[in-house]
Formats: sequence, C-alpha cells, structure tokens
Amino acid sequence: MAQLFAPGADALLRLALLSGAALIAGGAVLVAGIARSDYVTGVGIAPAQPVPFSHKHHSGELGIDCRYCHTTVETQATAGLPPTQTCMTCHSQIWTGSDMLKPVRDSYASGEPLRWVRLNKLPQYVYYNHSVHVTKGIGCSTCHGDVTTMQMTYRANAFEMQFCLDCHQAPERWVRTPDQVWNMNWSPPANQATLGPQLVAKNHIHGGDRLLECGICHR
Amino acid sequence: MAQDLDLPQLRQRLASGDGPAFWRSLDALAGTEAFQAYLRTEFPGAVPLAQGPERRGFLKLMAASFALAGLSACDAFDGRGREVPYVVQPERIVAGAPLAYATSALFDGFANGIQVTTRNGRPLKVEGNPDHPWSRGGTDVLGQASVLGLYDPFRSQAVQHLGRPAAWSAFRGALLARLAVLRETGGAGFHLLTGPVTSPALAAEIDRLRSAYPGLRWHVSQTVPRDGLYDGARQAYGRPLETQFRFEAARTLVSLDGDFLDVGPGQVGLSRRWIDARRAAQAEGRLLTLHAAAPTPGLTSVKADHTLAAGSDDLARLAADLLRIAEGAPPQPVAETADGPRAAWLRRAGAALLAARGRGLVTAGIGQPAAVHALVHRINGALGNTGTTVVHTAPVPVSGAEDVSALIEAMAGGRVGTLLMLGVNPVYEGSGELAFAEHLARVPFKIHAGTYFDETAAHADWHLPLAHPLESWGDARSLDGTVGLIQPTVAPLYGGRSAHEILTLFGSESPEPETPAREGPERGLGLLKRQWRRPGEDAAAFEARFAEALRLGFLPDTALPMESVALTGRVADPVPASAAEDRAAADRIEAVFRPDPCVWDGASADLGWLQELPKPLTKVVWENVVAVSPRLAERLHLVTGDVVAVEANGRRLEGAAWILPGQAAHTVTLTLGYGRRVPDHLAQGLGYDAQALRPAATPYRLPDVTLTKTGRRARPVTTQDLGTMQGHDFVRVQALGAPSVGDPPGAVVPSFYAAPPSAGRGAASADAGARAGRAWGMVIDLDACIGCNACLTACQSENNIPVVGREEVARGRWMNWLRVDRYYAGDLDAPDTHFQPVPCMHCEAAPCELGCPVEATVHDSEGLNLQVYNRCIGTRTCQSYCPYKVRRFNYLDYTGGMAPVAQQQRNPDVTVRARGVMEKCTYCLQRIAGARIDAAKDAHAPIPDGTVETACQGACPTRAIVFGDLSDSSSKVAAARRDPRNYALLGELNTRPRTTYLASLAPGAEPGREG
Repeated sequence: MAQLFAPGADALLRLALLSGAALIAGGAVLVAGIARSDYVTGVGIAPAQPVPFSHKHHSGELGIDCRYCHTTVETQATAGLPPTQTCMTCHSQIWTGSDMLKPVRDSYASGEPLRWVRLNKLPQYVYYNHSVHVTKGIGCSTCHGDVTTMQMTYRANAFEMQFCLDCHQAPERWVRTPDQVWNMNWSPPANQATLGPQLVAKNHIHGGDRLLECGICHR
Repeated sequence: MAQDLDLPQLRQRLASGDGPAFWRSLDALAGTEAFQAYLRTEFPGAVPLAQGPERRGFLKLMAASFALAGLSACDAFDGRGREVPYVVQPERIVAGAPLAYATSALFDGFANGIQVTTRNGRPLKVEGNPDHPWSRGGTDVLGQASVLGLYDPFRSQAVQHLGRPAAWSAFRGALLARLAVLRETGGAGFHLLTGPVTSPALAAEIDRLRSAYPGLRWHVSQTVPRDGLYDGARQAYGRPLETQFRFEAARTLVSLDGDFLDVGPGQVGLSRRWIDARRAAQAEGRLLTLHAAAPTPGLTSVKADHTLAAGSDDLARLAADLLRIAEGAPPQPVAETADGPRAAWLRRAGAALLAARGRGLVTAGIGQPAAVHALVHRINGALGNTGTTVVHTAPVPVSGAEDVSALIEAMAGGRVGTLLMLGVNPVYEGSGELAFAEHLARVPFKIHAGTYFDETAAHADWHLPLAHPLESWGDARSLDGTVGLIQPTVAPLYGGRSAHEILTLFGSESPEPETPAREGPERGLGLLKRQWRRPGEDAAAFEARFAEALRLGFLPDTALPMESVALTGRVADPVPASAAEDRAAADRIEAVFRPDPCVWDGASADLGWLQELPKPLTKVVWENVVAVSPRLAERLHLVTGDVVAVEANGRRLEGAAWILPGQAAHTVTLTLGYGRRVPDHLAQGLGYDAQALRPAATPYRLPDVTLTKTGRRARPVTTQDLGTMQGHDFVRVQALGAPSVGDPPGAVVPSFYAAPPSAGRGAASADAGARAGRAWGMVIDLDACIGCNACLTACQSENNIPVVGREEVARGRWMNWLRVDRYYAGDLDAPDTHFQPVPCMHCEAAPCELGCPVEATVHDSEGLNLQVYNRCIGTRTCQSYCPYKVRRFNYLDYTGGMAPVAQQQRNPDVTVRARGVMEKCTYCLQRIAGARIDAAKDAHAPIPDGTVETACQGACPTRAIVFGDLSDSSSKVAAARRDPRNYALLGELNTRPRTTYLASLAPGAEPGREG
C-alpha cells in the first residue's frame, strides 16, 4: 500500500498550523489596531464644517476667551455652543460681506440654526460634567488639546475610558491653579510634583479611590 | 393562578392559626405548586409561556410607550452626529439645565398643583408643588403619567371631517355658515356638552356664549359623577354643598364606603391631611382610628383600623344605625348574632363617635347614593361634628348645567341641531342604557373636540384636536376651591387648541383671521388674563400679580369660604329592611361600579405606564376583572380566571372573575375604564366595558344581577406573586401601647462606610477622614403608605423604565424598579391589608455583588449598590442572589424602536438600558450626582438634608418615604431610623439593608387609647 502522505506533509502541517496561529494573532492585533486608530477614534481628523471656523484665529490670534462662546462651561454639564447671535455680535460689524460667513448670516436671517459636525462625543452611559472639572482645576486643553493651534478643529484625544481613568487615578498630575485653567498651551510646571498634591488637597479631589467608583461617571 | 383552591379549607386553616400570619395571594395561602415556583425563582417556569407577543400588539406598544433609540437618528450623518445651537438663545433656557414651571394637573376637571421639569424646552417629569395649598407637594398616578400623555403618538393630530384630515380653516368655514343661522334663531337647538367644569375662565367663556346664543343648552357628562354628594347635601341642608374634612381636629374617623384615600380628584390633598393628622395623633400617643365599612375594598377601607365588608343595603342600614346611636337610641336589630363582625364594628364605631362628640368625623364616598350622604350629614350634625371636623363650602364645579339624559331627550326629539362635545367621550362614557351613539346620529351638525380620536369622534361630523393641559393656558379649582393656573410647558405638539380657544371660535365676536398654531396659546393667555384682571386694576399691577401667581402656580387665597349650614327637617329614614327581607336579599347578588384605580374612567387608557401599573389590591395589569367575594366564589364554584357573565335587565357583559378577599359576600365589583373600542389604540379590547350594564339613574350600583359561569377560563395577568420572598415578618404591625416590634436599637448598624477604613470591606483610603462620608439611606413608613402607586409611576418617568406589555408581564418580566407588595393578614372575608413598597435595599453586605463574574454590580463609598450597565453581560446571577428580588432584567430590546416623539420624554440623565442588561433601583443616582457636583463646586459644602429627593419620595402624597444621609444624625432619615418602629426587611440575613421600614400602627389592646 502506497504511503498516504508525502515526506514533506509533516512540515506542511506545521507550517499551516503556525501560519493559522499567526493569522489569528495578527488579526487580533489588526482589529485592536484599527479600533485604536485615529481613523476609528477620529483623533486628529478635522471634518468639514458648515462654516470653516478657526479656533486658531479666534482663540489663538485674537485671544477671545473660551467662555465668550462656551458660556455654560463653568455652570453646566455641557460647555455650550454659541447661538448664531453670538457670531453676529462681531460679524455684523466686521467681514460683513465675507463668502465664508454667508451661512452665518443666512442662519441669522432665516432662523435656521447652524448644524455643526460633532467632534467630541461620549457613549450615552457616560455622564461628563464640564463645570465640576474646570472648577476643580482641570484645564480645557487637558482634554481638548491646544485649540489655539487648530486651524480647523479636530478631536485631540480619543475619549476612551482609559483616558478618563488616567486622570481620575492621579489627578495631581493634571490639576492646575485657577488662573491656568483657560491656558491652552499649559504644560505641567516644574513643581507640579509638589503643587499637584497641594491643589488636590485644597480642592477636595479624591483621586485614586472616590473618583474611580463607577457611579461617578455611569448612571 | 388560583385554580381549584379549597376555600373552606383555607378559611379553616386561617381560623385555626395554622396558616401564615401574612399572605399575599390565595395561592400563597394554599401553598400551591404555582406559588412555590414563584418562591423558588423570580421568573417561575411554572408560568406557562404565553404566545409570543402578537406582532400587531407589539408594534402598538412600541409606538405608544416604549423607550428610545437615544439620539441615534442624529448619528446617521458621517458617524458623528450634529450639534445644533440656537440662532438666538431664548431667555431662561440654558442648554441641559432643568427649568420647572408651576402648573396644574387636571383630574376630572379638578386641579392638583404640580411642577413640570423641562430640559431644553421638553417637559420631562411631573413633580408636586409644595407651595400649593391643596396638594402640598404630593402627586397621583394620573398627574405623574400626564407627561407621557403629552407625547402620546396616539393623540389626535389633526382636524378631521367625516374621518378625513381637514384644516382648522375648513372647520371655521363650515362653522361660520352654521353660526349665521344660529345667531338668527338665538341659538335654538345649540347644545354644548362638557365634562365637569371647575375653571372660572371656561365658565366665563360659556357664559359669554350663552349670552350670544340665549337658546344654548349646556350639559355635563361625567363617567364618575359626584352627584350623590351634592344631592345628599341638598337633602340634608337644602342646597348642594362640598364637604371639606378637617382631620386635624378629629379624634376618630368613620368611613361608610368613604374614599378620601382612594384615587380621585381629592386623593392628593385629602391623604396628606389625613396622614398629617394621624402623625400628630401618634406624637401624642393616640391613634387616629379609622373605622371603615365598604361593599368592596378600596384604598380607604383597607387602610382602616377596623374594617367591615358590608353590601350596599347593609351600608345604608349601618348609616341609619349610626344616626340612631348618635341620637342616643339603640340600633335597629338585624339578623345577626350580637357578637358577629357587623355588630362588633357598629358597637366600636358608635362608641368611638360618642366618646369623641364634636371631634368625630363620618364620611361617605362618591359611590354612595344621596340618601346615605344625607344620613352622614345628620350623624355629623347630631354629634356636633359639623363645623369642627366637617365643614362645608359651595360646590367646586360650576353649576348651571343640565345632565346628559336631558340631552338624550332633546336628541331623541330631534331638537338638537348643533352639538359641541368639548373634551368628553359620551359614546363610551355614557351608560349603555342611554344608547348615546344612536341618538347622536340624529344630530345634523355634531362637533367633537378631544385629545384622542375616540369612540365619539368616530360618530361626529367634525373632530378637533384638543390641546393637552401641559401645552395650554387655563385655570381650574382644586377640591378646596383654590384656583390653580395652567400654563403651557411646550408649544402644542400636534396643533391642538385648548377648550377656551375652541369656544371662542363660536363666540359672537368678529372672527379673527386664522393664523398658524403659534397664535393659539397667545390667545389662551389673553383669555386667562381677561378672566383674572380685576375691574379697574392697573395694568402694571395686574401683570405683576399675574406673574407672581404663575410663578406660584395658583392664585393665593382663593379657597372657597366656609358656609354655615343648618339641617333641614327630617324626611323619612330610608326604610331599613326587616330581618325577613334580609334573608331573601341574602341570595341576591348586587353589582357595584367603581372607577379603575389606575386608568380611572378610561380617558387615559392609552398610556402604557397606567396599563402596566398593578391595581393596588388585585395587582392585575392591562385589564379589569370582576371582583367576587370568597363566599360567592364558594357558592358558585368559581375560581380566579373563570369567565363569568354578569346580566341584568336584558344586558350582559363577560369578564374574568377575581376572588377578592375583603369583598362583601354578595357584591361583585365592576370597574370602569376598560373595554375601549377605538381601533388601533393601545387600550382597544382590553378588559370589559362595565358601561354596558351600568344604569343611568344609579350609576354606582345595580341591586340585582345574575352571575353565571361561561365555562371558559381567562388568565388575568397579575404581579401579586412576583418578588415573593423567603422569610418571615415582612410587614410588622405595632399595636399602640404594645412592646416595640422594631429592631432593637443598635441592631441596624448605621454604616460600614462612616466607620474607619479598617472596618470597611477593602475601602482602604489614605484620607478617609477627609472624604465626604455620606451614607445614603431610605426609610419607608408602612403606616403612611396607602398603596396609591404614585411612587411607581414617578420612578418609571424619572428612570426611563420601559413598558413591556401584557405577555411579558405574564412571564414575570415586569420592569418597574419599585414594587408595592400587598399582604393580607387574618380572615379571608375581612382581612387586614398592608402595603409595602420594595425598592432596592442597597444592602451594605449585598449578596448580589458576590455573584457577578464581571463586577458589574459594586458598592461605592457612600453605600450605593451600583449597577454598571456597560459591564453587565447578563448572567443574571445577581438576580438569583437577591433575597429581596428587586433586580429586573431586559430579556428583550424593550427600549428600541419607540416612536421618536415619545422618546422625547426620556430623562437625559439616566442611561437607557439595552437588551441583556440587568437593572434596578439606583436611589435616583442621577439626583445624588447632581447634588454632589453642586456641593463639590461650592468648595465641598455639605449637602443639606432634603436636597436630594428620590422620585418616589417626591411623588408620595403621604410623605411615606424619607431619604437622606444616615451619617448626618440631624437628618430626617436618621431620625426615622431611630424610631422604635424601625425594622429591616429580612434583617436576619445580615445584609444590612440601607432601606428600612417603620412598622404599621394598629389599635392597642387598651380601648381607652384609641380615639
């Protein structure tokens, strides 16, 4: 009776098994990689907006305070988006004929709101509150990046749970003095290692335990 | 279900003291197989799986009352969604911030003060108005559910002419031609049919209409009429009067089928006044005893300290006997031994009333005829109670209307040319005897205005959509006369108009040009201002006064003034039947008619929250049943679920029988509000229509009916055995003067978490001293709980709890986080009844947390047992570990696919749960988090006691629920825990529940101590 398997069959089988395992592992890595990629998380991608609004120009070059437009950031859960009227406080006087601003003027005239593409979004089972974060010394740029350098605004961080937990675990690394909260190009000062714990104690922040409880963010 | 129960044997077992002290159903008492299954597991396999939800029914449900798909619709665009700011930011609206308006909820035309919380312009939640002089912060189920009614996609959304969509302008055109004729003839043949009107502005509008058309005749139709009350006062005092109770002055209460705690227009205000008086009495070491006799158990009679089941005839005789006792004569002997329950009840009630002369209070309810009310007035008069505990005011509803039978007569005579039916549904509401629909066909021009395209709309030429009270201007009086203002919380969603605005279309004033719906509410406001501006009042002063009244939600000091009354000459007593007649009557079966405790008269029957709300006593959902007494069931060999035919005067109805402990022996109870016949509506075809049998002359009673078994079996769906716990002493009763039944002090350790970290389980923390150290806890006073279900509806509204439908409830998949257990104790025929609301206990040593393989249920440092939806993988282990059975599981996607408009009701602060996820009471974590964040922003100020109010606590009309921080010894909840009546449910399991109970109160052995 002839041999069923050629002498190389064993090697082939081993190769097939190995490559199968490699494929599964590689596939897992690939899937995880895609899931974390900017393509999926949207980090660094600036979508087209109805008006090509530039934070770099308004916030960086002109130095308009965040709170001029995002009025409720210190009092409410949401920072608030400016109504068309806010744009028109200036743009009824300057750049009144600009083509770029036509949607703004149209919106104000017709009463149809501007429909901005959402950049930052959390899952519906996560409840984030802007006001308590800025009151406690967490600055805008910690989450939103330095918008004063963004010609077109993009998402600076993938808001995955790990991102939130990094800070809730050790807020002393990120907490700022009140005057620095609105500073968009803040980086931890040299004495953050001593200043951070002081601020944490002063502001009654319970990082590492209380802030890691599920009910803090999930309801 | 209660099949083939041996009732005599059960009775014997109870009498011998062999049975359980407290039982929640006849099955439980008998220990049937079906009940054992409920005991072993939360979702018993013994409940045969019903047919899968019929597709059509399921779609209907989803449209009506299911929950949302979030803002997923907005997600469609490039996966990111859109953010849409305002063009011009409206004044006062801050994105995401709650904004509350004070307004009034209408109950049969009567007002209860409420506050409606809106977010981004959407009304989301109804809360009580603590400043309102009548309702004092409480709410009822209909008020709580009204916010769902606002969004209900079943609501009428367009003007319809002969069933086809039309425009307001088309109606206006048709009307103008008609009005020209009417004006010439002085309004001859013009009839107006409304519900009871307490609104001064609406009454003024009707008056204006009457002066424009002198021939106009106004009729009032009401499913649950209050005529007995007013006619009784007429018999006793010569004029119709409203009776107001002053419980705080009373020492003893006697209720002859009274209904001051039952669902109704008075429930919110009256139950609060009652519990305040009962608590004040308890503080003085007394018990404000309630003696109640009733043909069918209601919330008032089951809450009584001494209850008697008495048929309607016997009730009238009891009233006559009490009058004789009050006047110093012996009661009429009846065919019963002197030591029977009736004699004992009468002796006790009579003695208590005599002992408390001038401080007793006797009352009868809407279900009783005028003769009984007249007797009650005379008893109160003879005892000197009138003027102290019982005072009278003019009737709250505006008088001057005729009844429906006058309209029927006119229609039958062909004398009705134009009929406007405003906010009523007479084709369904009217007694079957009247055959309203047949007569209506003879009216040439008939207009129906209603919030639904209902049975009457289908028979009318024109149907006009009526605006919901939450989207219109108006006013209405509470039962004490206080004028509550109604202000819109949102612009009309479906282009409806208020009753006032519709009436102005008929006015003689020159027609204004029709403009889009936005103009509607403006006009309503104008009408309201015209009503309340005093003659000659300065415009600015009026605007300021009106703005303040709107802020309050009512016009201060508008309660009706007390009237002095004098009893008129005595007419003959209603002749009490002799003993021989009594025996003959013993075999006769009477039927009594009662409004449904959840859907009331059926006008709100399309609301899934109300349909899925278990009736307080039967715990039946999605239908009504024919309540029969255990005695009658024995005699006719009935078991629960037997379809019985009830017949009288050649008319009949069929319904499922329900053996109701505490029901008078020869009385069957038929409930209104079911058997709706509106195609494609949620309520269509549920239950039976009691109107078929209801006599027009005596709307609450048929003295002689025949009851026959049809041989068919139905399966009424009930939640009474859901959540059956293993253990004992679920409810405790504290007899006055008896040793304390509460847990000994110290048995309930206040908190694991306020203790040093070493005492806590793994709660190691470097700065335990600096942490907030809050310990949330709840205490529920069983003595105050009247079983009204307001807490359940409030919880459903606050926490986005889905409606699952009849079939799913039959499988035990009822989703409400809070259940109100009803326990019976003692005799089958006259049991004591107890209600026990059971939310999550937030055990400090929570068994559920041990079972979860993914730590989806964990504790936080404030003692909350958290459920993390995004971690949950649906093993349901926690549910099987929970001894209180308070966890609910999403077996199906109950929240998907709900009508977009109804999604708008959802609370944006609470996660909408998906399929396969466990959920349970969170102590309203979103409210705690809100208060916590506010405190944190305010330099970590302590949260003052009372800042966090759970939804159930806020809704409760009797303030039975107290919630707060147990670690703050000055908090109300800590004080309640120190009450000697405080006990933990299943405390022997050492779960250390954060929710505890206060034992119910009962009269003590010493008779002197009760009133």
